[in-house]
Amino acid sequence: MSISVNGQSQVPPGFRFHPTEEELLQYYLRKKVSYEKIDLDVIRDVDLNKLEPWDIQEKCKIGTTPQNDWYFFSHKDKKYPTGTRTNRATAAGFWKATGRDKVIYSNGKRIGMRKTLVFYKGRAPHGQKSDWIMHEYRLDDNTTSDTNIVSNVMGDGGQEEGWVVCRIFKKKNHLKTLDSPLGSGEGRRSHSHLFDSCDEGALEQILQQMGRGCKEESSYEGNYNNNSNSNSNSNNSMNYGRLVSGSDPSMVHALEVGSGGGGLTNWAALDRLVASQLNGQTEASRQLACFNDPTIGYCTTDHDLQLPTLRSSSTPSSTSAHARLHAPPASYINPTQDFTSEIDLWNFTRSTSSLLASSEPLCHVSNTSV
Amino acid sequence: MGDNNNVNLPPGFRFYPTDEELVVHFLQRKANLLPCHPDVIPDLELYPYDPWELHGRALAEGKQWYYYSRRTQNRVTSNGHWMPMGMEEPVITSSSNKRVGMKKYYVFHVGEAPDAGNTTNWIMQEYRLLDSASSSRSSRRRSQPKPDHSKWVICRVYERDNDDDDDDGDGTELSCLDEVFLSLDDLDEISLPN
Repeated sequence: MSISVNGQSQVPPGFRFHPTEEELLQYYLRKKVSYEKIDLDVIRDVDLNKLEPWDIQEKCKIGTTPQNDWYFFSHKDKKYPTGTRTNRATAAGFWKATGRDKVIYSNGKRIGMRKTLVFYKGRAPHGQKSDWIMHEYRLDDNTTSDTNIVSNVMGDGGQEEGWVVCRIFKKKNHLKTLDSPLGSGEGRRSHSHLFDSCDEGALEQILQQMGRGCKEESSYEGNYNNNSNSNSNSNNSMNYGRLVSGSDPSMVHALEVGSGGGGLTNWAALDRLVASQLNGQTEASRQLACFNDPTIGYCTTDHDLQLPTLRSSSTPSSTSAHARLHAPPASYINPTQDFTSEIDLWNFTRSTSSLLASSEPLCHVSNTSV
Repeated sequence: MGDNNNVNLPPGFRFYPTDEELVVHFLQRKANLLPCHPDVIPDLELYPYDPWELHGRALAEGKQWYYYSRRTQNRVTSNGHWMPMGMEEPVITSSSNKRVGMKKYYVFHVGEAPDAGNTTNWIMQEYRLLDSASSSRSSRRRSQPKPDHSKWVICRVYERDNDDDDDDGDGTELSCLDEVFLSLDDLDEISLPN
């Protein structure tokens, strides 16, 4: 596919279609669902059931410049007339949702959601996972219906029906393969690449997933949304990455085993996850260990740098961590299996990340040398 | 000039050139005195602009600024100078693996050289063509005078943030969380809501 720009047959050299999530939703998808004309036919319609990822890659080329990701509109249909699930099977495999949907904000206002899917070759439940990833963006129901009252003939199936805009890309194995279009400081970026896009809500999400079996999700929905909203740009984000994808592979394994067997309600596994990470960290974690040990007060630590950093920090989470220091430490110890401890643990991990954030410049000085 | 408003593209298109594009399309054409379409990168010659003065003068995209300049031994500005960081990488074409240029890193120091005490976070990547002697390309154009490959450079300037790891909001990469979920998915029986 090539598009025409001012008589030229393709996108000018150096320019790439690199939309923000907000542009995808607010400009492209909103126009699509309200049948407005889009200036250039940049994003094509794709029948997800008919095209394999590698075919989409071919069909959704923009110009001739090398691409790392490909965009298309897709119309979601119900898998079964009576059900609400979406059919995402192709001839060669199927797309399977993973994780939890991410809220997309525009100017602080929620506009839509992003779902992450993985392509499996073969047939469920025996598919073989591929490196193809899809981000599927949908507008919030209320916002679409507001703007589409005039022309809307969309189905009433809510989020499981209607137009979505999708981006597919191949998962990189933590190495920059293509020449990064973002360009700046490749050396450093590839080093910290692992943490680049870590969601602020990472641990919350894990907590929620693990707790799904026995808890009503709505009971802490507010916490999660609030959190991802206010902190999405803070520098804490990478620390969840360290916590989640830290150097200890056995940790993740423990989480898998624990959660797999117990229907995602195994809190002991999560405790081990947190504990192993805390013990594994230097400096900050030694300090954190004091939280776990009631016999050592916080004041016994003499890392003169971290406390002032913490105090001087103005991020909301750091402030809350600071406040936590003066709270009875009991709530941090031994989270048990009931609901209240879940919240405590949640707070605990937040505090943890704040402390790690404070010590980050110390631990990773070497990262910044480009 | 100085921004890419003269390129009439729909939302979502941005100037994210690869190293190869910078060298092959923009630098080689400039050196060969061929017109660049679109002509988006301004020529700031050797004007002594400090990096924070580039906005409005150089081509800005995101937190990066692009401009043509000349090769020089001492890139001195009004309030400082660019110090080589001792790193130089070849720029290689993706199609033929041919070396077409070099990319050199500088860091901006406030004050007179060689005062190293006032390092800033401003980084410059300076792209240059290979010297004519080693460029096989120039030998093909016998009829034309050899272009002065040594003269032109493209500078890409950006400010390195200490805590910038949040600017990947485009989501073209999997988050660590997604990675965890992917590995969780291997156990299959965890059926997440579709």
